[in-house]
Amino acid sequence: MSTTTAARTAAAAPVRHGGVRLPLAPWLLILPSLLLAFAIIGYPFYQIVFLSVSDVSRFGLVRGFAGLANFTTIFTDSIFLGALLRTAEWTIGVVAGTLAISIPIALVLRQDFYGRGVARTIIMLPWAISLAMAAIVWLWSFNADYGMINATLRELGLMHGSVQWMAQAQTAFPAEIAVGIIVSIPFTTTILLGGLSSIPGDIYEAAAIDGARPWHCFRHLTLPLLGPFINIAVVLNVIHVFNSFPIIWVMTQGGPDNSTHILVTYLYELSFRLGRPGQASAVSLAMLAIVLAFTIVYMRLRRNEAIQ
Amino acid sequence: MKLSRKSLLACAAALALSVAGARAASAETVHVTVSYYSAATGPYFEKMAAEFHKANPGTDIKIDVVNWDSLLQQLRTDIAGGTNPDISIIGTRWLLDFVKDDIAEPLDGYMDSAFKARFISPFLQHATIDGKVYGLPIAASARALYYNKDMLTKAGFPNGPATWDDVVAASEKLKAAGTPGFGLMAKGTEVDVYYYYALWSYGGDVIDSHNKAAFDSPAGVRALTLYKSLVDKGLTQPGVTNYTREDLQNLFKQGRVGMVMTAPFLINQIAKEAPKLDYGIVPVPKGTTSSTYAVTDSVVMFKNSKVKQAAWKFLDFLFTKEPRVEFTKGEGFLPTTVAEAQDPYFTDNARLKTFVDLLPTAHFAPTITGWEDTAKAVTDAVQSVYIGQAQPEAALKQAAARADESLGK
Amino acid sequence: MTAATRRKLIRSVWSWLVLAPLLLVTLLPFAVMLSTALKAHDEVIAFPPHWLPAHLDWQNFADMWTAVDFGTGALNSLIVSIGGTIVTLGVSVPAAYAISRITFHGKGAYSQFLLITQMLSPILLVLGIFRMAASIHIGGGTLVDTRSAVIVIYAAFQLAFAVWMLASYFTTIPPELEEAAWIDGATRIQAMLRIFMPLAVPAIAVTGIVTFVGCWNEFPIALTMLRDPANLTLPLKVVNLVAGRYTVEWNQVMAATLLATVPVAVVFAALQRYLVQGLTLGAVK
Repeated sequence: MSTTTAARTAAAAPVRHGGVRLPLAPWLLILPSLLLAFAIIGYPFYQIVFLSVSDVSRFGLVRGFAGLANFTTIFTDSIFLGALLRTAEWTIGVVAGTLAISIPIALVLRQDFYGRGVARTIIMLPWAISLAMAAIVWLWSFNADYGMINATLRELGLMHGSVQWMAQAQTAFPAEIAVGIIVSIPFTTTILLGGLSSIPGDIYEAAAIDGARPWHCFRHLTLPLLGPFINIAVVLNVIHVFNSFPIIWVMTQGGPDNSTHILVTYLYELSFRLGRPGQASAVSLAMLAIVLAFTIVYMRLRRNEAIQ
Repeated sequence: MKLSRKSLLACAAALALSVAGARAASAETVHVTVSYYSAATGPYFEKMAAEFHKANPGTDIKIDVVNWDSLLQQLRTDIAGGTNPDISIIGTRWLLDFVKDDIAEPLDGYMDSAFKARFISPFLQHATIDGKVYGLPIAASARALYYNKDMLTKAGFPNGPATWDDVVAASEKLKAAGTPGFGLMAKGTEVDVYYYYALWSYGGDVIDSHNKAAFDSPAGVRALTLYKSLVDKGLTQPGVTNYTREDLQNLFKQGRVGMVMTAPFLINQIAKEAPKLDYGIVPVPKGTTSSTYAVTDSVVMFKNSKVKQAAWKFLDFLFTKEPRVEFTKGEGFLPTTVAEAQDPYFTDNARLKTFVDLLPTAHFAPTITGWEDTAKAVTDAVQSVYIGQAQPEAALKQAAARADESLGK
Repeated sequence: MTAATRRKLIRSVWSWLVLAPLLLVTLLPFAVMLSTALKAHDEVIAFPPHWLPAHLDWQNFADMWTAVDFGTGALNSLIVSIGGTIVTLGVSVPAAYAISRITFHGKGAYSQFLLITQMLSPILLVLGIFRMAASIHIGGGTLVDTRSAVIVIYAAFQLAFAVWMLASYFTTIPPELEEAAWIDGATRIQAMLRIFMPLAVPAIAVTGIVTFVGCWNEFPIALTMLRDPANLTLPLKVVNLVAGRYTVEWNQVMAATLLATVPVAVVFAALQRYLVQGLTLGAVK
């Protein structure tokens, strides 16, 4: 199975077989899901587009047509531009960090060893907590005075006094990225474990007979075979992390001085704190364009790579 | 004990209400949204609803308690969707936005001069726009400086600091003794307000008479420079941008910071959580003048309500003496009506009296559209100064320009 | 000890060593929850803090249970999560069957449409959804503040992932089995129900679990749609303990978070093997 098909899989499940041609049957089967998605997401999406070109009051009353004014406002807004850059750092940081940890973890968990079930369960645990609650627990853990992170560092003799983790972006933002990574690992590891278990073991036996070293096995066998799963993990994680709201909102609310804002937290602030639904809608559309562009470019790149 | 009896009563009343409600099928329902102030808020309003229903069997009152953090968001969504309650508590500083979008009902038609006279006049005045009353002040608080008596006595100020110079002198002594003197909050809500205390004390103001930002005046720069110097000299707790108001109050309760400025409700909290703490309350320190911040929340009625008369009747009941005293006592606020202010609870309580006495010099947050934008611009500015990203004057000028973009719009 | 056992033992030691840092970090929040949940209020904000409470204050759990109205919250969470899962599976199983078994025009477009629905941040979509719910009048009220509305919305947001997971698994079930049944005279529907569905049960179960957890933990939609305390889900009730309060009872917050997490954690522990297999088997074939 080539990477090509796999790369497409995230967007379109593969064509398997022709069977009998029934022109209406597939549509009847997908109709309920189409209706549901259109009903729940279609209308609100139209609303967002409409509001983004409207002059909207703080309570959502439309006062008139605004043209592209909302867009020009946000694209000249230094907070928006700062948040845009930080969103890239956040997304790349979390997704790359998640993969860098999840791949070795999945390789270890794939082996048969004593207590594997326990280890797998523990690694899945962050999945079990609501993101909002997880963020609250981490905020409390990072609390400078009563948090157990500072307390443990002190007890281990690694430092004196207290680190004010959330007081400045230099410590707060990396801490938020770390939390983002921790909560993304379970899902990613699960997908990768799935991928690994679909690789037949006899490939490795053959390689071992040929005298391949473990690193070579990983580099030339595992990684390419795992490729499609990594692609899925990248695409789904990017979409998810890019839009992820609770961690940053709970821990720093984008502050101090906007230094930890990403687009989605700024969007929330614009919409609900400052009462600018028009601009918030414009931010929302800009965000959609970015993820869409990323997904398309990424898929293309991977496909080209696979063809070469 | 008292609380549990109260809630028991509320339960019993609610039960009676549901039985009665089943009988009176044609009952009107008034939907009321209240903000969560403390664990006592919900039970209090449920109790009031039950009492009101007993006297007015034709009217059901339905109470929704909403978190302060999500209140404005929820009202915005509700109003846009047309599912808003009949009456709601809001921050009086948001009021003009409600009036401008024609959402709030003017209340003059419902009240006579005797009703108006129930209120302490500046509070009602604050909720009056273009000569019309749109909100009834239900919760009021002012700010003063709490000081730890043991610590400040050792630092040579047994009666608390009177001026900013005193604060600096005391904090320097406390620093030498190894504890931070002045508590400074720079995270969460009211970061801007904490800075206004000093701004006003130097005779400055947030917004001028033309509704333009005025906090970047020399008084403003002086105030922010003062705070910044306290931070730089290590006279505050470390990492000020990591401390919300709640965090700061916790430090104070534990005797880990000498002074903190906040609202009267800390008195109730200390009584419950740190009864051994010996503390005093003095006005906000003087710079060139005395001042404090007063803030009210108001009840508004929505224009699209279909049960305005019944809703008004409930408000009328809420603003009689007994309900007012019970509410204000329970939440640790200041009286908003004349009758409750004469209750011995407020006249005989020295600590509360400090706050009440401050009211004549109090500044309110101006009722102006775009207030939240100003709050955000100022918050960003003071944070950037505390973390060393900007100088006070430049930061305030930039914030003023940003605030002016939204003020009055 | 055989050579194989010894090899496994050695492998176990280094595996645990490699995993240890991550396991520690993963368990840290749970340890913090437990530690804080068992401390008395004045110990929670005592400085410096210690991991072990001076005495175990189990009362926090009882206090929290009433303060949060935990039982109601748990019941509501169960209702919307089970409801959301059923609706999600109900619409996504047929859709996944279609895209994994039948070639038709517009299949690619359909899949892409589903992926795009995932790209929109729910934070802003909820506003429009709310307006829509508010404009639909049913039985004297609107859909706002109803659990059924939340169930349908959850299904719409869980849909794309469920279809993707199911479809990728379905493609691993050999079509030859069904084709053989057709030759034996079964109709397509009979073949689907008798041959295909039993083989698909594990995938449906796993997708169900993932969907359930997604609904159980969901926050922004519930926050916007639900108002009445009798309808609020657990995440809302727990976050309400923290957001915009003058004092935060951290011991109760941690007790609530811990208790809200345990049921899902238990399900994961019991089913983790199937979870991996489910995401696995199919994922990309």
